[in-house]
Amino acid sequence: MGLQAYLILAAVVFGIGLFGVVTRRNTIGILLGIELMLNAVNINLVAFARFSGSEIGMIFTVFAICITVAEAAMGLAIVILLFRIRRTVMADHLDLLKG
Amino acid sequence: MLETIGFWSLAVVLVGSALAVVLSKNLFHSVLWLALALTGTAGVFLLLEAEFLAAVQLLLYAGGIVTIVVFAIVVTERLVGERITQTNRRITAGAVTSLALIALVVHAISRQPLPTAREPLTTDLTRTIGEGILTRFVLPFELLGVLMLAAMLGAVYFARPED
Amino acid sequence: MDSGLLTLVALLAPVAAFLVLATVAPLRRAGRPGAYFSILGATVSLGAAVTAWRAYDGAITRMVWDWLPSEGRPLATIGVLADETSTVMLVLVALVAFLVQVYSLSYLSDEPPQGLGRYYTYQSLFAFSMMGLVLAPNLLQLFICWELVGLCSYLLIGYWYQKPEAARAAVKAFWTTKAGDVGLLVGIVMLWTLSGTFDFGELRVMVAGNELPLAGLSIITFCIYLGAMGKSAQFPLHVWLPDAMEGPTPVSALIHAATMVTAGVYLLHRTSWLFALTPDVLMIIAWIGAFTALLAAVLACVQDDIKRVLAYSTVSQLGYMMAAIGAGFSTAGFFHLLTHGLFKALLFLGAGAVIHAVGSNDLSRMGGLARRMPQTAIVFIIGTLSLAGIPLFAGFLSKEEILGSVWAGGLVGPFALLMLVAFLTAFYMFRVVFLAFFGTAPAAARHHDSAHHGAHEHDPPAPMLLPLWILALLSMAVGIYSTFIGPGLVAVPEGAAEHAAPGWLMPAAVSVAVAGIALAWLTYQRRTINAASLASMFGPIRHAALAKFWIDDLFEHVLAAGILAFSSLVGWVDRYIVDGVLNVVSVWTVTTGDEMRTIQTGRAQDYVYGLAVGLLLLLVWARWSL
Repeated sequence: MGLQAYLILAAVVFGIGLFGVVTRRNTIGILLGIELMLNAVNINLVAFARFSGSEIGMIFTVFAICITVAEAAMGLAIVILLFRIRRTVMADHLDLLKG
Repeated sequence: MLETIGFWSLAVVLVGSALAVVLSKNLFHSVLWLALALTGTAGVFLLLEAEFLAAVQLLLYAGGIVTIVVFAIVVTERLVGERITQTNRRITAGAVTSLALIALVVHAISRQPLPTAREPLTTDLTRTIGEGILTRFVLPFELLGVLMLAAMLGAVYFARPED
Repeated sequence: MDSGLLTLVALLAPVAAFLVLATVAPLRRAGRPGAYFSILGATVSLGAAVTAWRAYDGAITRMVWDWLPSEGRPLATIGVLADETSTVMLVLVALVAFLVQVYSLSYLSDEPPQGLGRYYTYQSLFAFSMMGLVLAPNLLQLFICWELVGLCSYLLIGYWYQKPEAARAAVKAFWTTKAGDVGLLVGIVMLWTLSGTFDFGELRVMVAGNELPLAGLSIITFCIYLGAMGKSAQFPLHVWLPDAMEGPTPVSALIHAATMVTAGVYLLHRTSWLFALTPDVLMIIAWIGAFTALLAAVLACVQDDIKRVLAYSTVSQLGYMMAAIGAGFSTAGFFHLLTHGLFKALLFLGAGAVIHAVGSNDLSRMGGLARRMPQTAIVFIIGTLSLAGIPLFAGFLSKEEILGSVWAGGLVGPFALLMLVAFLTAFYMFRVVFLAFFGTAPAAARHHDSAHHGAHEHDPPAPMLLPLWILALLSMAVGIYSTFIGPGLVAVPEGAAEHAAPGWLMPAAVSVAVAGIALAWLTYQRRTINAASLASMFGPIRHAALAKFWIDDLFEHVLAAGILAFSSLVGWVDRYIVDGVLNVVSVWTVTTGDEMRTIQTGRAQDYVYGLAVGLLLLLVWARWSL
């Protein structure tokens, strides 16, 4: 399969992840969508790296995965803290920024 | 030939589980479907002959992240006696936006002449990555360590017990 | 020294006094020292003016300085122009200004020092303005001094500004003359567009050489006449002059008898060669002049305020002068201007002495003053006889010249009106004389404050009496000279028409005047004719006259209605259009802001959605537009 197929696959997963971020009511559900999007990006990276013959892309992917892990940990910690303070994780109720 | 079958089946699994993640009403089920999607991604990496990355993916993503998400759900939802439900909102608008985005990217991709065949790998990927992160990319590597430390500290601090 | 330089000195002396008094506040606030300073300026001015007049040798002198530069020749100049007309008029202005300032020392002796200083500052400014007008070599300087004179009139009429009537009268004078001044300015500018110059000399040359296109000239001369109509109180812009009597009497003598009101006559005399080109406008001038004379004379017959009688008399005599100008013989009008200046100033100052003595302007509170104020009585009667036009007195020849020129101009209607006016003039002036100076003092005054009155009813002190005698003697001198020799004062200007008066004119004029005196004597002195029955004979006219023929009311209502309508229109525009635009803009801003607030839901998820949409749009744009 050519590069094109992999890229299209990644795009589709990215779109689905975006749908999840925009649509889900539960904050953790939003985080899951973010994970999907990041995954799709990694697929993209690896596909490009493989088809262009440079390993640097692979190394970069390793870093991306690690950073994603850190971000997911932080996000979940914030969700837990939010739950403690507000007793809810529904994104509808977190509107302190309301102007 | 084999590769084509592998690709398509992995594609079906990946896309299907991704859809299940975002559409499932039960949050716990969503997490499980996410685990499947992440595993599918690892399969894709294998198809792309990046074994090391597949392993990393399985370890960190499918193992680590799913675990901590499950813990977060346990902490924030009342599991016993209540169904963990959630619904979506702004479905139409979100769907339209994502579909449009997908279409746009696909359109952009198809217009480009992209390579269809891959050159055979000459080197051992794991070795290359290992050498790379310890020589050329040692600085990002170390910084990554610092980042991890910071994230860990932050997470610990945030999630500390109330006193 | 030549005439030009002397006239310049005469012009600059009062302005120097004004500037010093205006800037050096302590001198002004001290009162009498400021007055003396101003009188010093007036003396220098008078000396220079008289010398300039005597030294004038027939050669027209101009001293001008470039003022507004323009390509080629200057657009406007300022300076002095000394010819026969201006030098002799200058003498009149300087003389009356000087005498009035000396008179005011005593008349206004009760005023506080700051007020006195203010008064003399204005007097000096007025003297300068009037002389600037007289000596103006071009229409532009004339207009500027015209406006300055109007300003000084306002300031001096409203000298006692705490009195509401005085403040109102000052504003009324200003606005009424301003209406005419607009016409003057329009006329001057139109003339400039036609001829390219403001200068009198150049304009005369153009007129003589037939270089001035005649089309539209009537409008120009009529507009210039409008200015004269305002300043010289012709109907219907005469309404300000009687009210202007609210000012101090010396001011009335100076401004509203001898100088400012004659500025209109002077202007028309100055530009008579221009008006000669538009006979239709001259006809209008003559008719309005004659009508004004009659109207004012009728109004003067029913006044009980001595100053009002004199004010209407001035309006009437100004009508006389205008009629002569309208007949084409502006020299006669100018001659009457000079003699009238002398005896009307005399009459006003004499009236001032009477008012000062009696403490009131009201004729009904006067009587039998001849016994207690003999000198005042004599000089006042001299003035009255001059006004009536009796031979040997100043007004005789000048009035006859006017009648003769109106007759020679073929204006039979105005002539008849003017003869009637001569009769009425003699009648109402001698009514004043008999009521004030002869007969018996009013009983009420005698009983109530005889002690107070008795102390005051005497001849005025020297600073008031001396100007009175000077004016009286000058009147007599001019009268005797003119009766036997001729109008020597005013040499016939270049090119003015001569006329020979018909033989019957002089006896007719004199007998008409004598008839008026006789009627007054019979009615008010001998009481043969009952004044009340005489009045009831002219019942409706008298009633209308007491209401000033409702001219003032008409002006008031029309102006009030017009101005109120216009201002409510302006107010509507301001509220609904000007404010409306602003209000609409602000309301839209607020409403839009309120509606746009709803975007800020405070939920991060919504912002992500916004990001996604924005990203989409950017990508679309990047793909299909760049």
